[in-house]
Amino acid sequence: MRSIKSRMLFTSLVVLVGFMVLTVVALERAVEKRMLATEDEKLRSLMYSILASVDRDATGLSITVSDERLFEPALFNSESGLRAVLYDKDSEIWRSLSTAESFPRAEDLQEAVLRFSQLTLNDKHWFQLAFSILWPNVHDQLSLYEVVVWKDASEYNRQINSFQQTLWLWLVITVTLLLLLMWLVMLWGLRPLKHIGEEVSAIEDGVKQRFDSSYPSEIKPLTQNLNLLLQREQHQMERYRNALDDLAHSLKTPLAVIRGLSEKPVWQDEDKKVLSEQNERMNQIVSYQLQRAATMGGELMAKPIEFESLIQKTVSALRKVYQGKAIQIELKIEENHLIRMDESDLLEVLGNLIDNACKYGRRQVIIQVKSIDEFLHLTIEDDGAGLEASQVETILTRGNRLDQTQEGQGIGLAVVNEIVKVYELDLKFSKSSLGGLKLSLTFQKS
Amino acid sequence: MRAIVIEDDQVINDQIVSRLKQEGFAVDATDNGVDGLYLMQEYPSDVAIVDLGLPQMSGMEVIKKIRAEGSQLPILVLTARGRWQDKVEGLDAGADDYLVKPFHQEELMARIRVLIRRAAGWSDSIIQCDNIVLDPASQRVTISDQEVELTAYEYKVLEYLMMHAGDVVSKSVLTEHLYDDEDDRDSNVIEVFIRRLRLKLDPEQNLQPIETLRGRGYRLNLTAAKSNA
Repeated sequence: MRSIKSRMLFTSLVVLVGFMVLTVVALERAVEKRMLATEDEKLRSLMYSILASVDRDATGLSITVSDERLFEPALFNSESGLRAVLYDKDSEIWRSLSTAESFPRAEDLQEAVLRFSQLTLNDKHWFQLAFSILWPNVHDQLSLYEVVVWKDASEYNRQINSFQQTLWLWLVITVTLLLLLMWLVMLWGLRPLKHIGEEVSAIEDGVKQRFDSSYPSEIKPLTQNLNLLLQREQHQMERYRNALDDLAHSLKTPLAVIRGLSEKPVWQDEDKKVLSEQNERMNQIVSYQLQRAATMGGELMAKPIEFESLIQKTVSALRKVYQGKAIQIELKIEENHLIRMDESDLLEVLGNLIDNACKYGRRQVIIQVKSIDEFLHLTIEDDGAGLEASQVETILTRGNRLDQTQEGQGIGLAVVNEIVKVYELDLKFSKSSLGGLKLSLTFQKS
Repeated sequence: MRAIVIEDDQVINDQIVSRLKQEGFAVDATDNGVDGLYLMQEYPSDVAIVDLGLPQMSGMEVIKKIRAEGSQLPILVLTARGRWQDKVEGLDAGADDYLVKPFHQEELMARIRVLIRRAAGWSDSIIQCDNIVLDPASQRVTISDQEVELTAYEYKVLEYLMMHAGDVVSKSVLTEHLYDDEDDRDSNVIEVFIRRLRLKLDPEQNLQPIETLRGRGYRLNLTAAKSNA
């Protein structure tokens, strides 16, 4: 049950079907009871009509039913489904013309009590009403007689069945209609939630900055708070980066001043060297720590950026810088793909890696992006001197051990390494077929 | 050569200006973007050094504006943040090179020289016209491998003429690229420099490298050894 809609529909289905089945069963019971009572009444009136036709027989010792007085045409026709038999203590003494079957005798009859029951005879369902009476003979001696009437229950069963069928049919129709209605109500009711989902993706895609204000009162507090959160995050990020900019500016400018002063001819060569080294060391500490702090990593809602066009932008910027050097930067890119990463962080990685390749390459740099499944594989190759495995380790961890940093060594790759770690990217060094270094970096598509 | 320096930190600004003057540049300096843009628009210069973090108008805006006006002025960007985003965006906006603070003055000068040479279509670090070779880094001039002693102003005139070999350079253009605002601008002095240069470059008067075009200016009639020309 992943969605609220399916949960609600499932619950409604269970409740609705349960309620309907119980209603139908109760209804069936009531109708059946009523119909049975009707059958009972019909048999009673038949019974009374037979009793009214009972009289002594010709001998005067026993009784019989006078067919002349019996005004019940149904008892003369077997098609009517009505049967009647009169018994004395031992055997049958009269039966209606309609009676062809031989019924078993009713047992344990109480005197002067009408007993309604049902029985099955040769796979046929019958209603039975039995009555036992005392009747005096000519000698005023009382003998016990039994009158039993039967009614074929086929018609009753047919009616019951047809009633049940209609009932269940309407049940199914009602349940279906109600579920459909509930589904529509739910669609309408849950539409704001669906809208929130759409807006979240729009915000993620950078199409929107915030949630719309037109939400129902139940959801409004949620979207309002999310808007506040988004706004705060955007502001925070801006403030944070601005603060870092200010810090960089206010630390680097004095360093630049000191460096300028240290290059004046008033210093002895030895002092000049020490001043320069110390200045460089401070500069690297400041640069490395500031760059590290500026690495955003997984933002709450990072805008997807066009990977290949950023590579293109970086390369065209670097082509300008390396115009004086006869180096060929070959770009093997097909189409644009989106990745979810902070633009500044990606530019930092691309800038440092491509700049290094241009710096150390002799004549050629090849940059290639291959799209395989949900990944983008970036390779940057140069025809320079390449790197040994041990050198790679030193360069990547350079930022961590600034006390050992020597002048002239950049911290670019160490910064790249930091960003790569934060984004959990895969950075590999190998030997290029061009002769120099080959850097491979894998990104996940958005 | 004339350079524009736009840097809000006064000490760094002074350092760059004094170094540029030492290298023989005429310099216009300001500490804000608005004045910087004005200098770029109004003064014919050979290079501009622009700090990105400027008051009133950011360096990035200054560059975008001047490029939108069609200016080809070589621009070197100074940035305190080492982020590549700044560098790439600066270059994308129209800057030609960048330097991260703190920088070595030597490095700055080398980059500036490269930018100026590149803008004039030179790709080598030395400038050569026929047998005359000029090295901007050491400011030495040789003719057929024989070093020629030039004064600072003679050197400046020759450098400008060699950079624009084959083009007509008017006296006023030469004056603008040679002098600071506050200097006395007497165009007759240019004639003096030209006369002295002719004597030093061509003592026998058989080559006549500098031609005078009456009312228009001067032209260096030598073949420039530009690799991409």
